Amino acid sequence: MTVPMPTSSRKYDLNFARWVRDNVAGGDKMNMCMQCGTCSGSCPIGTEMEDGPRKLFMMIRAGMKEEVLSSNSVWECTSCYRCVVRCPRGVPVTYLMQGLAALASKEGYAPKVENNYFSRYFWKSVELTGKTDERLVPTAYFFSFGLIEGIKRSLGNLKIAFNMAKAGRMHIGLPHRIKDTKGLKAILAKAAQIEDQKS
Amino acid sequence: MSEEVFEHKPAAYLCGGCGIKDALDMDALETAITGGMMVSNVKQSDAFCSGKGLETIKSDMKSGDVNQAIVAGCSPRVMVQEFNEVGGQVFRANMREQVIWQQPANNEDTQALATDNMRMAITQARKSEPPQAHWDGATSLKLLVVGGGITGLTAAREASKTGAQVVIVEKTDKLGGWAGKWSKFIPENAPYREPEDNPVPALIAEVENDDNITVLFDTIVDRTEGGPGEFSCRLKNGSGTNWDIYGAVVLATGWRPYTSEDQKKFGIGETDGVVTDIEMEEKLSSGDLKDVKNIIFIIPGDSDRMVYSSGVSDKVAIKQALQMTQADPDVMAYIIHEDFRSHGLAEEFYRHAQEKGVIFQRGEVKSISSDRTVTVDDELLGLEIPMSGIDLVVVSTGMVPNSTNIDLEATERGADQLKSDINPVAPIFTVNGTQVDEDLAETAADAEAEETIPEGGPLLNLQYRQGPHVPVLANGFADSHYICFPYETRRSGIYTAGPVRRAMTASEAINDAQGAVLKAIQAMRQANEAKAVHPRAGDLSFPEFGLDICTKCRRCTVECPFGAIDEDPETDYPVVNPTRCRRCGTCMGACPVSTISFKNYNPAQVSDMVAAGTEECPPDKPRILVLACENDAYPAMDMAGINRLEASPYMRVIPVRCLGSVTLLWVKTALEKGYDGIMLLGCKSGDDYQCHFVKGSGIAQERMSKVGDTLRSMMMEEERVQVNEIAIADSERVTQILNNFGKQIEDIGLNPFKGF
Repeated sequence: MTVPMPTSSRKYDLNFARWVRDNVAGGDKMNMCMQCGTCSGSCPIGTEMEDGPRKLFMMIRAGMKEEVLSSNSVWECTSCYRCVVRCPRGVPVTYLMQGLAALASKEGYAPKVENNYFSRYFWKSVELTGKTDERLVPTAYFFSFGLIEGIKRSLGNLKIAFNMAKAGRMHIGLPHRIKDTKGLKAILAKAAQIEDQKS
Repeated sequence: MSEEVFEHKPAAYLCGGCGIKDALDMDALETAITGGMMVSNVKQSDAFCSGKGLETIKSDMKSGDVNQAIVAGCSPRVMVQEFNEVGGQVFRANMREQVIWQQPANNEDTQALATDNMRMAITQARKSEPPQAHWDGATSLKLLVVGGGITGLTAAREASKTGAQVVIVEKTDKLGGWAGKWSKFIPENAPYREPEDNPVPALIAEVENDDNITVLFDTIVDRTEGGPGEFSCRLKNGSGTNWDIYGAVVLATGWRPYTSEDQKKFGIGETDGVVTDIEMEEKLSSGDLKDVKNIIFIIPGDSDRMVYSSGVSDKVAIKQALQMTQADPDVMAYIIHEDFRSHGLAEEFYRHAQEKGVIFQRGEVKSISSDRTVTVDDELLGLEIPMSGIDLVVVSTGMVPNSTNIDLEATERGADQLKSDINPVAPIFTVNGTQVDEDLAETAADAEAEETIPEGGPLLNLQYRQGPHVPVLANGFADSHYICFPYETRRSGIYTAGPVRRAMTASEAINDAQGAVLKAIQAMRQANEAKAVHPRAGDLSFPEFGLDICTKCRRCTVECPFGAIDEDPETDYPVVNPTRCRRCGTCMGACPVSTISFKNYNPAQVSDMVAAGTEECPPDKPRILVLACENDAYPAMDMAGINRLEASPYMRVIPVRCLGSVTLLWVKTALEKGYDGIMLLGCKSGDDYQCHFVKGSGIAQERMSKVGDTLRSMMMEEERVQVNEIAIADSERVTQILNNFGKQIEDIGLNPFKGF
């Protein structure tokens, strides 16, 4: 079924919970949340989040669309899956976080945080080479904050870069590519097509 | 009935099994029995409970040389069936659980304990005669079921299956009651996930087609006299009254909706689209919910609602929310609760509702506006959230028990009785232990009773000296022993079932009806054979009154917990309603002149047993008398033996039918005969009583609270007599209490009357 996308003009819109249930990956399981807080308590970067997953789910149920989509929590999630492993009711918290981040991106809720830049270049690298390059992604990410900030951050990580190269953890030369970049592009195009059909 | 003089022919059977012969000197015991105890017929065996052992006793009984077997071996609580079938009176001396399992082997004190236990059992036999049926029986086996709802219908159907004749009395003009109106039921079958179809229509059809069942519509019970097997009931309907005799009564009068002030503030009946869960049920039945897309169920958090709902309306909310989402997956259902109880298998039901998209939100509903915007103070977010666009708001209610007939006017006498029932006079203190200010406790209980007196007239209009009502407890629920005997009321032969007892779901009510009806059938059949009903089911013994010395003091008539004794209207002497009596002996304990007795349990007998326990006590050894309730305290002590908990060897234990049967005569005898301390062990008293005879334990405590004066007049310490409440699982606690008591007595010193 299709539920009209809730309008963001209202602070509270009960349609939002229904929309998340039907359109976000794992949304149907969000109802199983019994608000025990195991997810928020387990989160290694819970202190960085404005709202932990528990509170975020309660906000969704209360129809607080704007607050949920502009919350930094969905961007802070590192996908460590600790919450998913520990959730007593089988809620795929990480999927929900990713789904909500995608939704926020699509809806144009300006991400207030750095993680969004990182995600952008991470994705560009994957799209281009089929891999993440240890030099390109961080460098592009650092310079997205401006020239001076970019230089500062790059120099700050120089030592780590050297050590990684020494240990053979960072490759020097042209970026590696997967064998069939064409195939990957076709896969991604198909996925985008499916995603478009959904909405 | 002819009265023959009973000739005592006792024989002692000393069982050496289970390690008894290794721990005790059996031959010395035999010598003591044939000598001082004067029982010449003594036999020893390694297992009297074996086929061969039992055969020995049986053939002795058959030969006519023996009519009383005193078996020294295991506790009287075990091997009951085996020894009951030997064909005569059997007395048991506990040598195993409370002697060899708790005392060191081959010890002087252990041997003395065993010998005294034997002497007490032989004394018990000497003062005992086999009980005989008190009347010829042949009473009614017809069952009266009051109420034609799901509980009453189930009770009638189950009784009919056993072949009993049943009459259902229904106040309205149709069967089914509340449950008959429900669209679906809370699931009772695995996997406990989907609402189930209503079984009531099928049940009604079954009852209507049953030849054993008669249904009387528009009828109430106007007057009830008699007791089990001989209830004489006057039934009243529009056209007049009609008397009939019934064997037992199942009271299934059900409930009526509870709506508190807190719930009214939500605008039930005022705001359009705000309804109770009962009204919602009607809407679900009629299918009048096509346009409802957003629905909110409110479970308010006031404490009275918790009492009257007990988790039922929480489950109903789940069921209704599920029904809504099943009918239309587009529906968004919210359940807003301050507390939520879906205990037991309903956990599956709750989980299923979550899976189906029902949203549970914890918070307090602050207000509902005229356009049904529900403002919730969400506790988990710490925000007030306005939920708008709601099509229907359903407010949970509760179930008020119909333990009175609200269509009738309250009678003053009835109110008095209800008040005294609710207010458990049973003092909550132990003698010389922690004392509660009696006046204070009474005032508090009074105030509580004042608030909780149910309105309305009596349901059965009982012609008992205790008043016309079926006893109730706090909040108007019909009285019952909440752990062990949920259907027993304080009126023998009348069994309550269903929501009149506590708030419950329809399927729980079905279970309740099945349980209560089995009790009712047992009561009818036992009465028919002149036997006691629960908890001394099958007992033929009977209280006999020696009216020659009766002082008409009325203590027995007042204290009988079951209303079994009345005053004769002309002579004022006590008269027994035989079938109501449960043989607890509370009357016996009450009688100041000890003129009430049972053939096999009487004041003189236990008095002699008390004396026998200290007959051969050396002047330097302490002796402590333990009068233990045979229902809970005595088994707890046995359990202590099974767990090999060490106990003082100076205890002499006598099991009593109920602590209520303990007379002050026994306490006096004990002090005179040189016991140094007396411990009375009974069940929990109060409004959450566990006493098998409801009031016995409480009454005993009240009596013993006055023993202090007697002790002081004898220049003895008050601490020598103590009362304690023991539950059946308290094996460790009971041992501790007794051992501490032993130490306390040692500190005080021995009884100055010892050896006189």
